[in-house]
Amino acid sequence: MLAGLNKDTLVKSTTHKVVLPFYLYAAISLLAATVMLCFSAEAFTRHYFHPHILAVTHIMALGWGTMMILGASHQLVPVLIEHSLYSNKLAYTSFLLAATGIPLLAYGFYVFDMGWPAKWGGRLILLSILSYVINLLISISKSNGKNVHAIFILTASIWLFLTAFLGLALVYNFTFPYLPKETLQYLPLHAHAGVVGWFLLLVMGVGSRLIPMFLISKYSNKYLLWVIYVLVNGGLLSFLGLFLYFPGSTYHLFPVLTVLIAFVLFGHYCLRSYNLRIRRQVDEQMKISILSVLLMLLPFVFLVSITGWLLSDKLNTQLVLIYGFIIFFGWITLIIFGMTFKTLPFIIWNKVYHAKAGLGKTPNPKNLFNNRVFIIMTMSYLAGFILFITGIYLADVFVLTFAAVILIVAALLYNWNVFKVMLHKAKIK
Amino acid sequence: MNVISNNNIKCTIALAALENVVDPEIGLNVVDLGLIYVVNFDEANKKINAAMTLTTQFCPMGESIIAAVKRVLENTFAGEEVLLELIFDPPWTNERISEEGKQFLNR
Repeated sequence: MLAGLNKDTLVKSTTHKVVLPFYLYAAISLLAATVMLCFSAEAFTRHYFHPHILAVTHIMALGWGTMMILGASHQLVPVLIEHSLYSNKLAYTSFLLAATGIPLLAYGFYVFDMGWPAKWGGRLILLSILSYVINLLISISKSNGKNVHAIFILTASIWLFLTAFLGLALVYNFTFPYLPKETLQYLPLHAHAGVVGWFLLLVMGVGSRLIPMFLISKYSNKYLLWVIYVLVNGGLLSFLGLFLYFPGSTYHLFPVLTVLIAFVLFGHYCLRSYNLRIRRQVDEQMKISILSVLLMLLPFVFLVSITGWLLSDKLNTQLVLIYGFIIFFGWITLIIFGMTFKTLPFIIWNKVYHAKAGLGKTPNPKNLFNNRVFIIMTMSYLAGFILFITGIYLADVFVLTFAAVILIVAALLYNWNVFKVMLHKAKIK
Repeated sequence: MNVISNNNIKCTIALAALENVVDPEIGLNVVDLGLIYVVNFDEANKKINAAMTLTTQFCPMGESIIAAVKRVLENTFAGEEVLLELIFDPPWTNERISEEGKQFLNR
């Protein structure tokens, strides 16, 4: 006999009004970052600690990567934590604070003025993240299931807060030096807390829930996910300890290895989900997401090389530049490309057709964007991406500029498709 | 498919109509997906007591799918009140997908 529950058991999804501003902001940030890349091509032939590179990196990490992930996570939180989002107001607050803070911080870096624009930018971003963490924390505390995915996303958000906190501390250290070491020395800590603690942990937590869900896979392995969780956080904490107490020691390879094992296990998890899927057809967006998981291997190769150079007291700045470029313009961007057109059409579909459901044949959410443009965008982006890395390696301004122009074209195509989805009007047959 | 009903003929009509309600993410209709559990007809009171589930309780498209199922039943059996219950016990599993549904997903 069926034990009936009533309709209230359906967890309410987050309104599109909360999510869409984040998506829009991220799309424009990608375009802004590629344009800046074009006008700052020369900077990529120099040291990575260059004002323009810092500005581009923060637009990519915050304006593009973080804003998109914050938007998507507000939508996905109910799916991940099995409870509705606590507060839409906190989500709006988080958006407004970050949306104001990011350009201020980027401007501060671009002109290398660590005065009020950078400081206020940093403060506003920190408050934005705090709003997000509080929202998430209360949402999770109100939910019944404290599942592994919820813990991943919460821990990732705490790493994001710590990253931003350290970042702001470094901005202050420029004008009032109070830290025992120079600001430049703390960059690896700031960068890896953000890349591994925030981006990697979040991608693993969200991906481990969504990949089997989208593939309709029979595979599930919570134990493996907990092992991955411990390895990533253990790796980061050991990196923090080594950075503070054993700088320059060969033990620095230990956190790299720990996170690499976590990554291999996550790859195994994705592969098992893929092999045990019921749905044979895999769309382009899922293929891009899977490609981006594979692309995560590249930064590890560079990281091992960089650690090797560092231990021999030499530093190849080109290697560091390529490493950073692969992370932000490669791995994170490809994930977002796939995620945008996997989630945005559904958000808009729900908005446009919710009240019209069952009245006639509605278009498939996949048809809300132009898949051909998506493929051309991906191809041109990959071409620009590979060419830009070649430009960094050759330290050639012409190659860098040409590659940046291709990336601008890809960013324009991305924006075109995003606007096409967002401006979709109801069509019922 | 395992749909419980007290009127096989009307249930067939209902399921045929519900084949037009498609899960937008999967692209498969709610009948072949196995989301419909019960379609009972209360002839005396002109009511349809239906029960369905979702692939997950946290499905972002859930509200739209439920609204579509209710509206299709109302349109198919005009004049009858539709009481649609959403249930998650027993939970939906892949095993509920029909052979046609599996063939569709295997394409």
